[in-house]
Amino acid sequence: MGRIIEEIYVWRLPVRLYHWINALCTVALFVTGMYIAAPILNPPLGEAVWYKGLAWWRYVHFAAAFIFIANFLFRMYWALLGGDKYARFGGFRPWSPSWWGTPFKEQVAAYLFIRSDEPNYVGHNPVAALAHFVFIFCGSAFMIFSGLAMYGENNPGGFNATWFGWMIPLFGGSYTLHFVHHLAAWIFPIYVIMHLYAVFRHDVVDRTSVTSSIITGYKHKVEEEPA
Amino acid sequence: MEVVMQSNQTFADVFKARGVSRRDFLKFCSLTSVYLGLSPSMVPNIVQAMENKPRTPVIWLHGLECTCCSESFIRSSHPTIEDLLFNMISLDYDDVLSAAAGHQLEDQRKKIMKEYKGKYILAVEGNASTKDDGVYCMVGGDSFLNTLKETAADAAAIVAWGACASFGCVQNADPNPTGAAPVSDIIKDKPIVKVPGCPPISEVMTGVITHFHTFGTLPELDRFGRPKAFYNTRIHDKCYRRAFFDAGMFVRSFDDEATRKGWCLYKMGCKGPTTYNSCSKIQWNGGTSFPIGSGHPCIGCSEPNFWDRGPFYKRLAEVPFLGSDSNADKIGVIAVGAAAAGAAAHAAVTAVKKAKTDKHENNDKA
Repeated sequence: MGRIIEEIYVWRLPVRLYHWINALCTVALFVTGMYIAAPILNPPLGEAVWYKGLAWWRYVHFAAAFIFIANFLFRMYWALLGGDKYARFGGFRPWSPSWWGTPFKEQVAAYLFIRSDEPNYVGHNPVAALAHFVFIFCGSAFMIFSGLAMYGENNPGGFNATWFGWMIPLFGGSYTLHFVHHLAAWIFPIYVIMHLYAVFRHDVVDRTSVTSSIITGYKHKVEEEPA
Repeated sequence: MEVVMQSNQTFADVFKARGVSRRDFLKFCSLTSVYLGLSPSMVPNIVQAMENKPRTPVIWLHGLECTCCSESFIRSSHPTIEDLLFNMISLDYDDVLSAAAGHQLEDQRKKIMKEYKGKYILAVEGNASTKDDGVYCMVGGDSFLNTLKETAADAAAIVAWGACASFGCVQNADPNPTGAAPVSDIIKDKPIVKVPGCPPISEVMTGVITHFHTFGTLPELDRFGRPKAFYNTRIHDKCYRRAFFDAGMFVRSFDDEATRKGWCLYKMGCKGPTTYNSCSKIQWNGGTSFPIGSGHPCIGCSEPNFWDRGPFYKRLAEVPFLGSDSNADKIGVIAVGAAAAGAAAHAAVTAVKKAKTDKHENNDKA
């Protein structure tokens, strides 16, 4: 192992808090969501009024969802107005052809083993930025909008039904929206696998302490192995 | 039909002629106001309209359908039921119910269209085949597609009865060989009230007509064009078995103890949580029961394309995926498996490559 030659404070506290709250909420939402779709536990014998068998799972799902939404909004605030150079959206411009240029191509080539050396980024590399945009930004936004539309269903004319209810006809009905919400939930375990793999791999290949950086906030620059 | 002769009578006249007491007539008006979700102060408006306004002429067309809407309609449980209701709405043309047939009847339709130009309600039961110029549904020597367009042209409004006319129902379920299309896909320039269901509840049908007759306007509609008064809430939210849903007490097979105890049918594929209708409020056949009350899960018949959202007895829809019947969870598990396999393969290549470079570097050192 090379000597640590520089410590860089990359992930400031708001980013780390967002990350861990988001991680916990996502796990809670996925587990409770799957249970709501297929409630497998039987309640003990007795009157319905004594049990909250499914109501409790739904309660946790909704509670976690609102924390998830608040956390998501906070992250949007931090990205737009936080003035944090590693957490802002500034560098991410997928609408501009130049963004898809050399840095992006180099990173893709590195991941595909076409290049032998790995480009190194202090913040997110362009491929990671794209993955986060697709999975975390678009994925979360879709789950939030569809979730709130369905949450508003039991209160017709209420806030959620008014502002998010248009999702229901857009997807062809309440049942289809439930189906798409359920299907889209699966992007989160897929993302988690790719995310954990990429983080561990970068730690091994680049030795930048990226894994511990989401707890400590610091990434390291490491001296090259002495030749 | 004798009703044709009475076209200028008011509803009250008809009730009187049929021997219905004023007391029963007022009861009917109050009941109707309740079904329409109107406050008690609106009852006099209904009475006023029923007593003074000439009955609204209705032309009732039948396209690709099974007549279950008519069957439901004639079972409306309001005072003295069937023939009263036929007279009530001044049903001037209905090729299924009328005694006359052939040119005689078709002339009648054209006469009404001329006499009440822009004033009649067009009630459509069933939908039109649009493929091959509509030859898959021929009525009275012409395609139903043409008849529908012709009759709709001078209508004040259109009521689309049932799932067929509203959303397409079984006729336009995949693969829809006849190109069956709901009324709203064919007629674009008229207000359309969708009254879906397979069939719709009879009181919902009479309620919609009564609303138009009373106020001269269409009822307030939801995002799918269904009257809010009847389709604003889900079956699930008014279901008498909701307590079992919240408690997590479910029927697991149709012959288990829970079935006899009347627990929640959610796990049997009940579509109550995603279906907007009045079944759990108004119920059927004069409040006798409704599917869930009879131990059968809701199949969601008032929702768009419910035939393609199957199977009826499973919660999660089956969808084609990689050439087989699949569902969201199967697709999800396959995708997660693919991601894990991809990561493992990538890790293996990384390890091999790293081992090679390390060896290379070591060789260089040596």
